[in-house]
Amino acid sequence: MELERPSENPEPFRTLLREWKVTTPLPPRFAEGVWRRIDRTGVKPSLWDALQHWLSTALPRAAVAVAYVTVLLVAGVAAGYMQARNETVRLKGELGTRYVQSVDPYQKPGL
Amino acid sequence: MKSATVILTVGLVVGASAFCGFYYLGTASPRELAKAQTPELAWLKSEFNLTDAELAGITKLHEAYQPHCEEMCRRINAQNKRLKLLLAATNQMTAEIEVAIAENAKLRGECQRDMLAHFLEVSRTMPPEQGKRYSTWIQERTVLPAFGMSREK
Repeated sequence: MELERPSENPEPFRTLLREWKVTTPLPPRFAEGVWRRIDRTGVKPSLWDALQHWLSTALPRAAVAVAYVTVLLVAGVAAGYMQARNETVRLKGELGTRYVQSVDPYQKPGL
Repeated sequence: MKSATVILTVGLVVGASAFCGFYYLGTASPRELAKAQTPELAWLKSEFNLTDAELAGITKLHEAYQPHCEEMCRRINAQNKRLKLLLAATNQMTAEIEVAIAENAKLRGECQRDMLAHFLEVSRTMPPEQGKRYSTWIQERTVLPAFGMSREK
């Protein structure tokens, strides 16, 4: 049997496709279902695909989102505090050295 | 994926803001000291918990000591230059080098004596406990021989 050749002018078909609106919502856990089916096919998704999948399914959950933001908040506070403490020690040490240099001729810079 | 991207971004912004905020607040005190007219004296006030009156007294002593300190610097520089010239001119121990070394040692002793007198005067201007702490701290860094070695103990 010979296949019907597509029309030489695809424009009406394209217009029809553009007008087509999907109104039916996706069933719950659609993405998970798709990934399960992909799993069943035995095709291993790439690490990037897996990460994207995990992010798009797990992160929007309220508990995970709150935990993620909390962890970054705590990490930011801890890193800021530690960095500030080190910087304070360094700056105060520098000022102490400046005081010593201002009273000890043997430690004046450039002597 | 759009909501995940928003959450990812919010998390990163929250973390970065927390870091910057804590860093800024945590370094406020030393930044304030560094902005002072005489940062080293502002540091002294903060380090030894001095009152404004005590700092005013120490500033007076510090300013009075500065011309003498600069004169000592000038003399040390001159002595060092002289010794350098003598050392460059020979590969033998000469009587002149011996004299120059002895003069250097004498000058160091004189300098240490005057420094110590100034430090003791400053320490007396502080409350007794802080004065004692200041004396120990400054002596370890100036007049005590090989202070670097003794500090490591």
